[in-house]
Amino acid sequence: MAEEKKGRAVATTTAAKIPKFVRGNLSATLKAKEEGKKVAAAFIADGQDEIMRAMDIVPAWGESFSGVCAAKRDAEKYLQKAESDNFSRSLCTYATCNIGFDMMREELGGVAPEGAPWGGMARPDMMLGNGQLLCDPRFKWPQATQHYQRDVPVFVTNMYYPPWDPNVDHHDQEAIYVKYATEELRETVKFCEKVTGKKMDWDRLAATVELSDKTWDLFIDTYELRKHIPTPMDTGDAMNTMVPLTFNLGTQEAYDFYVDLKAELEQKIADGVGVANPEKYRVIWAAGLPSWFALGDFQYFNGKGVVFPVEVTYRGCEKIERLDLPKTNDPLEHIAWRWVRYWTHWYDAARKRPGSTPKVERIIEYIEDYKCDGAVFHSAFSCRSWHAGIMQQAATLKNVYKDLPILIMEGDIVDISSYNEADTHNRIDAFIETLAAYKKKQG
Amino acid sequence: MDHFAGVDIGSTMTKVVIVSDRIEASLIGPTGPEHRKLANRVMEEALRQARLTFEDLTYIVATGYGRINVPFADRQITEITCHAKGLHSLLPSVKTVVDIGGQDSKGIKIGNGKVMNFVMNDKCAAGTGRFLEIIADSLGVPLEKIGELSLTAERIAAVSSTCTVFAEQEIISRLAGGEPIANLMAGIHDAVATRVYSLVKKLNVEPDIAVTGGGAKNIGLVRALESKFGQKLLVPPEPLITGALGAALMGKDIFEKYAAEGQQPTRSGHRLEEATFFK
Repeated sequence: MAEEKKGRAVATTTAAKIPKFVRGNLSATLKAKEEGKKVAAAFIADGQDEIMRAMDIVPAWGESFSGVCAAKRDAEKYLQKAESDNFSRSLCTYATCNIGFDMMREELGGVAPEGAPWGGMARPDMMLGNGQLLCDPRFKWPQATQHYQRDVPVFVTNMYYPPWDPNVDHHDQEAIYVKYATEELRETVKFCEKVTGKKMDWDRLAATVELSDKTWDLFIDTYELRKHIPTPMDTGDAMNTMVPLTFNLGTQEAYDFYVDLKAELEQKIADGVGVANPEKYRVIWAAGLPSWFALGDFQYFNGKGVVFPVEVTYRGCEKIERLDLPKTNDPLEHIAWRWVRYWTHWYDAARKRPGSTPKVERIIEYIEDYKCDGAVFHSAFSCRSWHAGIMQQAATLKNVYKDLPILIMEGDIVDISSYNEADTHNRIDAFIETLAAYKKKQG
Repeated sequence: MDHFAGVDIGSTMTKVVIVSDRIEASLIGPTGPEHRKLANRVMEEALRQARLTFEDLTYIVATGYGRINVPFADRQITEITCHAKGLHSLLPSVKTVVDIGGQDSKGIKIGNGKVMNFVMNDKCAAGTGRFLEIIADSLGVPLEKIGELSLTAERIAAVSSTCTVFAEQEIISRLAGGEPIANLMAGIHDAVATRVYSLVKKLNVEPDIAVTGGGAKNIGLVRALESKFGQKLLVPPEPLITGALGAALMGKDIFEKYAAEGQQPTRSGHRLEEATFFK
């Protein structure tokens, strides 16, 4: 039984459409078989979205499903199931929640367990893993879950980008990484063709990639409206509005969503409507996945006049023109360039500031552009690869901004046992007092 | 003359300080399950000590984890801000505060009397006063004696368990194996100091460093912390009241800020009655 919790309001009406997106993605996996489509267990931000969309493969997003379980405070049974087979709680809880669910579904002969949030996800026909620099569990996650679904073929690619080294000019290396990533994507296509028995329609793929580029541009144009004071939308909503970009890239629905969101934000700005009234402090969500079971904490901030006009998390794109991508007629090579340049985008800035890193430069860019008074990080204990380095990032920011108030919250993405609401709110209160003193000093 | 009160409701102790242009009264009473709602009694006793009536109080600030439901407070401010304020008034040279309370421990970085940064330990009793309470209880040693006892140790008996429950089991096993209590106490104090040090060092610690809270009254813990930080730590004369003192001084600041503009701060219902935690 899921724990009851207070409902969470969203600031924009467009964000209220997101549950339909998420539920639609889950139900698409359940309807796929009757529609003659294949289902792929898939992972976000790995360059495979357009391949799947162009081949009518239905992605089953394990990370999304685990997030839904957490948001509904209904993940514990899946975590316990995985733990019963010796998967440690200190592993990625997106993975363990998903694996626990897969285990239960296998015990039921491939049928989603009764009471699974929003009906759960269908048994996949294939798994498209992607070990890359963003997330280390992805090397083993597909293998681990294949242990329970032995007949499901797995293909794990590796999408690397030049690692940050202040003494190395990444521009000399990018082409090598792009070549490697392109070949990995080409092998992904071959794998998908083999499993589906259909050939890739390369023109359709090119059109899908073009639509993705347009969506990236529109997403940034929309989010940059949040620079306005008072901001018309904050991170509490962005943890919802990231869904079309993150899980539906390469679809017209995703593009249309941001058309609607942009129009709404423009109207709010015209009407002078902000998230908080009055807007006292502007804060960046500098790093970390949120506690999906505690998204209401954003409203706790808002209620005290604190808004998040910008976040690093789930801002998984950039204006295409800013990435200066080389021209190519190969859609896979274009995806690879877009992938590599997205990650190396802040390398040059970091090289100019001794002791800095690309992640810190990105935060600094946003602090300046969005006029932030402080920074909040969330350290989720089970997500090592994303959250390692938070202390270093905070320390580097302190070197640049001296007294900038920084709050490092501690919790998890899925495991609610990591969360203590009273203590979290106490920390937030103390942080807001620090913001007040900082802003007073700044004049 | 205007009088300002600070009420700090911690997990184990309720502290009240009344100030004018000096400290008029300070009182420490137990919080405990039954006492938690009776902060008004501690306030009444403090008022008696200061020879004041409740109506003589110009402004009241509540702090500590129980601050929200104090019906006679005009304003609530977190213990982080109040500790910094109170300690700065007592020891202006301090830039880093280590506060070891009953249910949490925290580090606070101070600059010009303001909070620059802070860290808090929660979700785990290890590294807090509660850890020491449990171990003292299981060994049958009065809590107020464990610090001095730890200083008589011939060696530090390392306690490897970081979980309070498992540490308690480990201590009992080691005791059965013949390890002297003093050595185990030294090990326990070392374990708490290690946890606290690893928390506070995230702050880019700068001297002077002060210790506050109940932990500061434990000489064994202060010595163990000094060993970790590699320097002498300052302890205010009454380390339990810094939060309440800071709250009273914050109230004074708020009132004077309004007064300078010819105004008065908004006051709450202002009733000296029981807190409402469990309603």
